[in-house]
Amino acid sequence: MNNFGVIEVASTATKTTPGWAYVPDTGPSLSATALQPKNRKRAARNTQPGLSLSDLTARQENKLRKDLEALNRDNQRDVNIPVPSSSRSSHKHTPTVRKILQSQKTFANHLDDYQALLALAESNPAAVVNNPLLFLNKPVVATPQAKSASPAPVREKGGSKRGQAAAKRAAVKAAAAAAEEEEKEERKRARQLAAEGEDVEMIDSPPAPPDEVEKLVETYPADGTILPAYRKRPPAAHPGDDDPLLVSVVPSFPTDEELRSLMTAPPLSYMDSRAAFGEEGERYPIRVFCEMCGYWGRVKCMKCGVRVCGLDCLEGHREECVTRYGL
Amino acid sequence: MAPGRKPKSAGPAPPSSTLVLDNGADTIKAGFVTVDDDTSDNAPRVIPNCIARDRHNKTYVGAELEKCKDFGEITFRRPVEKGFIVNWEAQKEIWDRAFFDDKAPQRCDPSTTRLVLAEQPNSLPALQTHCDQIVFEEYGFSSYYRGIGPSFNAYQDIQAIFHTPRTPDTIIDVPAEVILLVDSGYSHTTMTPILQGRPLHTAIRRLDVGGKLLTNHLTRLLSVRHFDMRNETYIVNEMKEAACYVSLDFKGDLDKTWKGTRGERRKDYATGGGIAKDYVLPDSHTRFHGIVRDHEPGAAARARKSAVSTEDILTLRNERFSVPEVLFNPTDIGLRQPGLADLVMQSLSVLPVGLWPGLLANIVVVGGNAKFVNFIQRLQVELLERVPDECVVRVARPEDPIVSTWLGAANFARHEHADRLAVTKQEYEEHGAAWVARKFALGLGVDTSR
Repeated sequence: MNNFGVIEVASTATKTTPGWAYVPDTGPSLSATALQPKNRKRAARNTQPGLSLSDLTARQENKLRKDLEALNRDNQRDVNIPVPSSSRSSHKHTPTVRKILQSQKTFANHLDDYQALLALAESNPAAVVNNPLLFLNKPVVATPQAKSASPAPVREKGGSKRGQAAAKRAAVKAAAAAAEEEEKEERKRARQLAAEGEDVEMIDSPPAPPDEVEKLVETYPADGTILPAYRKRPPAAHPGDDDPLLVSVVPSFPTDEELRSLMTAPPLSYMDSRAAFGEEGERYPIRVFCEMCGYWGRVKCMKCGVRVCGLDCLEGHREECVTRYGL
Repeated sequence: MAPGRKPKSAGPAPPSSTLVLDNGADTIKAGFVTVDDDTSDNAPRVIPNCIARDRHNKTYVGAELEKCKDFGEITFRRPVEKGFIVNWEAQKEIWDRAFFDDKAPQRCDPSTTRLVLAEQPNSLPALQTHCDQIVFEEYGFSSYYRGIGPSFNAYQDIQAIFHTPRTPDTIIDVPAEVILLVDSGYSHTTMTPILQGRPLHTAIRRLDVGGKLLTNHLTRLLSVRHFDMRNETYIVNEMKEAACYVSLDFKGDLDKTWKGTRGERRKDYATGGGIAKDYVLPDSHTRFHGIVRDHEPGAAARARKSAVSTEDILTLRNERFSVPEVLFNPTDIGLRQPGLADLVMQSLSVLPVGLWPGLLANIVVVGGNAKFVNFIQRLQVELLERVPDECVVRVARPEDPIVSTWLGAANFARHEHADRLAVTKQEYEEHGAAWVARKFALGLGVDTSR
């Protein structure tokens, strides 16, 4: 194509357009429901059916998303600062290093790649069994306790990503069967390695002769191997100690088994560790503030729905609102 | 700190010098640790982790930023995104100038040095692999460990941070038995419960609010209310660090800074109510950094009126506390995530109840945001509302929360765990990057009792 003599130059600037990825289509087909909406009024704006008044419309959601994206930028505008070339004699890089250094991928690109890989693993586990990039974060510690200790993942409202993650976990489990033997070997080797380098332990010896202390000390937690019991002198007795009103409930201490499974559980993925509201959603309504001065947003602009605190701020806002939307 | 170590029977002895790096998104904390010297008072060098360009198109790499005087309209390129090293082209240049050039201030010879690198939890596998490959194939460190930053903090004397009363003969446990670490940095805030130096991975949670987001939020507020500050990120960041605080009574403070309804002039608003501050902006001729002053009613108007105005004054009112408030109520800016205190509870909810008292009594806050006035008090107050009555909640921050992770990592480098976890260059060449990554992900394990 001629392109009027304009030559596009590669830049590190990224666009905010979303990337693409193969995503398996499991839920009810969105396109089918879009064809026959129940409520035809403002269908483009109200994408989700059954919104209540407090829920946000698509337009508001979009504005919020753009605002948050702007808040996460390093600079206000896109800048392209080249790395200043130093006069240092550059030695030869290995091919992998050269590839890494030349890569202009951003974090968002890497995240998209990772999600696409997870989705692929879900739809076709056999294809990615040996892909190290997928299973790095999942060192297969497929002990039954580890599974039971894995948390109920916090769910997001849309939940599609979480669904993927859950399905992915299933896929991983399936693939695990194949890889398990190998992994066990690996772990044994790692443990041996650790044992070789093991040093003389510094054991906290009890300060007083044990038979004397034992009379005084109730060990809590029960002496396990992971967390050592409390061996110091308990505080002096107090006359109120036996008062039933002052007795506090001490939760039972987790067993070594529980602790072991918690401490050996594999890391969560980047998406799973993101905090989100639980099943019941936000406990309190969202607070709204005046767009102009930051006080509580008690009044809504009739034109655009922006919250302001009072007449003074409303007038200030109108000037802007009129230039944007007309009278 | 280091117990009597017997030389390994197989393989070469571990290198005596260790380069400890906490490669943050905003600053790199770097320093050398040798096993023999046990000086715990050495501090890392703090290097800005960016390539900056000022308005005269002069470029500064890393530590050269100190030479910059005029921070107006300065722009940054940062190799670290969301806490993870993404752009190695820029990162390599910054590392080279700091550690590997002939004239580098902290020159090191990688072939005889071990590298201990702190990373954020829950990284992407591809980024971790890139990091390992660069460390071994480009720099050729003789030995290397990449561990998650929060868990390094456990290798410090945690009870000293809490000022726990104790007798002089108390033995300091390293790593600490149980802590809940809140790391609030430039890109995000993470919660990490740590048992005996091992992070409990299933309970790690991340809130996508960090110092950068707060600065940008302040920039937006100022641009609506005062001047257009959108290109002055650096200046706004200084302003945030100097003037912002966490409010212990948000409603009350907000009322004090309200101008009132139409026609009304509230007394608190006119006098400043003890909250309003004047911030004198740098003019980049005589003043290169801003100054915070107590609010003087009418000062800004007078400066604006006088023909030869010498200084630009911004009056900060509710911006001072509504910006850090985002950490505790992210929904205020439309971010659908729970606040810090709720996040601590979410993190605890996946753990057995028996661990709660220990974790709640040992909450350590590190990272730059911990420097906000009243940050730890607010977290403690909010947590007390949420936990059972009988739980003791103690929240503390180290003296310098920014270098805390580095100090912990330095102690780790002297600890025998470092020898157990580190991977040598020979092992990398023999087993490959995937094996190294798996070994790092496995961590210490629990089979030995300490």
